[in-house]
Amino acid sequence: MSVNTKISWVHLTSKVRQLIVAVLSVTFGISMYIFMNSFMNGVNSAQTEITFTSMAHIKVYNDLGGSPSKAFLLNSSDDTIRNVSNVKHINYTEGIRNADEVKQLLQKNTEIVAVTEQVNQNVFFRNGVTKISSTLSGIDVTNEIQMFNSVQYMTEGDLYELDRRSDAVVLGTGLAEKLNAAVGDNVMLSTSDGVNKILKVIGLIQTGSGNVDKSRAMISINTARQLLSKNKSYATEVLANIKNYNDAQIVANTLRPYISYKTEAWQEGNEQLESANILRDTMAITVSLTILIVAGFGIYNIMSMTVNEKMREIAILKAIGFDGKDIVRIFLMQSIVIGFIGGFVGLLLGFSITFIVDHIPFSIASFDTLPVSYRPIDYIMAMVFGMIITFIAGYIPAKKASKVDPVEILRG
Amino acid sequence: MSAKGINKYFHEPETFQVLKDVSFEIDRGEFVAIVGKSGSGKSTLLYLLSTMDTDYEGNIAINGTTVTGLTQNQLSRFRNEHIGFVFQFHYLLPEFSVLDNVMLPALKLGKKSKEEIEAKAMELLTLLDVKGHETKKASKISGGQQQRVAIARALINEPAIIMGDEPTGNLDSKNTAIVFDIFRQLAKERGQTIIAVTHDEEFAANCDRIIEMVDGKIMPL
Repeated sequence: MSVNTKISWVHLTSKVRQLIVAVLSVTFGISMYIFMNSFMNGVNSAQTEITFTSMAHIKVYNDLGGSPSKAFLLNSSDDTIRNVSNVKHINYTEGIRNADEVKQLLQKNTEIVAVTEQVNQNVFFRNGVTKISSTLSGIDVTNEIQMFNSVQYMTEGDLYELDRRSDAVVLGTGLAEKLNAAVGDNVMLSTSDGVNKILKVIGLIQTGSGNVDKSRAMISINTARQLLSKNKSYATEVLANIKNYNDAQIVANTLRPYISYKTEAWQEGNEQLESANILRDTMAITVSLTILIVAGFGIYNIMSMTVNEKMREIAILKAIGFDGKDIVRIFLMQSIVIGFIGGFVGLLLGFSITFIVDHIPFSIASFDTLPVSYRPIDYIMAMVFGMIITFIAGYIPAKKASKVDPVEILRG
Repeated sequence: MSAKGINKYFHEPETFQVLKDVSFEIDRGEFVAIVGKSGSGKSTLLYLLSTMDTDYEGNIAINGTTVTGLTQNQLSRFRNEHIGFVFQFHYLLPEFSVLDNVMLPALKLGKKSKEEIEAKAMELLTLLDVKGHETKKASKISGGQQQRVAIARALINEPAIIMGDEPTGNLDSKNTAIVFDIFRQLAKERGQTIIAVTHDEEFAANCDRIIEMVDGKIMPL
């Protein structure tokens, strides 16, 4: 043990209370950094998860509308006048007629982990005199489950029942409530083309996304095709999930040239989700860094006090042959030790707080407990920031200590 | 040790010349007392000789080395090796044990192993009759003992020069006598040069030589 280390050690251990206060300020800062980031990340992940219970990473659909194709060729000569008013579409193809082909194309891409097709339409449900508009999804049950893990969100009934009965329907919990329909009840469905069908409620689903739960109903994709009188390969949209949802735009761009329909990444229609995530992250980092900086002030304060208290000792050390560098080392080492102890305790405390919060019951939407995440990077960054701040907060008083003029102090 | 043409000014609150063209030489093994009224510049002179105060005009050489113009870090090293200090107040590090206090300058110098240093420190503590207290905190022993521990600390690196700023100023007559005898012995037996600023006339009278300062000048003998 070098003599400087020895002196630092004696300084640290002779004022245990001060040492504990300094350590605690670092511990608090680091644990709050970890907790804030784990919590915000958990919220972000949960939010994303809820979003993706009813939304795919990439959606392929037939984008209708826009201006109709040109009815006439451009003016061929100067003496021709073209006048077309009140242009309307007179005929177009709805949906995707050859969905199987699109599915195969998507499955070839290695980034894509799940593909499913849906037949969606706006319909009315009637139960007695109650009449509610709804989005009816015809789903391919097996693929739908693989993609959205829908079984997990079923509050009642069995989703596979849709495959077994052509008149089965699964309602969102909000929709069922509005319709006053329970499992086993019959509800009347009317399509926009005037087709009516009686369906039996065989299950309820709650994804956690309120708007979806209030309007969505699911039937078998074949029943949906029948309702619209469409062929067996018909779908309104083909959906795909990829390995990392953040790459959706890149994957969508690579697919676009091969698919004749509109190919859309989830971010394009949902920028508010992205911005909410970024805002939460920014807030978490700002708050937690502020706490760490406050902890830095704590160390600065305590080290400055120590230096002021030990002015005479510093003068003596200088008189007996210690130079400025030794003095900086002696005091800097103390704050680094404080930083390290505080940091490690902070990591443990941060983990404990996160763990406890993870177990606080929180039953809103599809949550059971508060959402948190456990990411090693949060712990590493907490320690890195903690050490940087401790170093700076310790260096300033240490530098001041090294500048003490022994003559001034010793002569009194 | 030699000092040539030393001039020193204080600038606060107004510029004032404390030392006026002071020159002298001190031989190895001499026991010198610097006396004078307060304000005569005797302490100032001592701190210049100690190399801690570098703000002066003139030239100081110690043990054959010109210390004027060396950097602060070089001076620290020089002090560590060649100069021992005894102050009016003991100025021990209160949180360290008596033994640690004595050992620190040698540990800093790093020329000997820890065991050798410890043996040497124990030897000095025995010589100065504070043996048996070495594990106590420096703040827990009596004033006379503290001053003797401070002397042991000054001696640990076997410096060529020992400087005292009123080394007995805070001691009763009995302890003063003990400290004086130790200095006497060191100068005589080990050939260490001793320079002490003192108010104590009896102490001064028994030294080899007295340098009397009046108004920033050395009184001619």
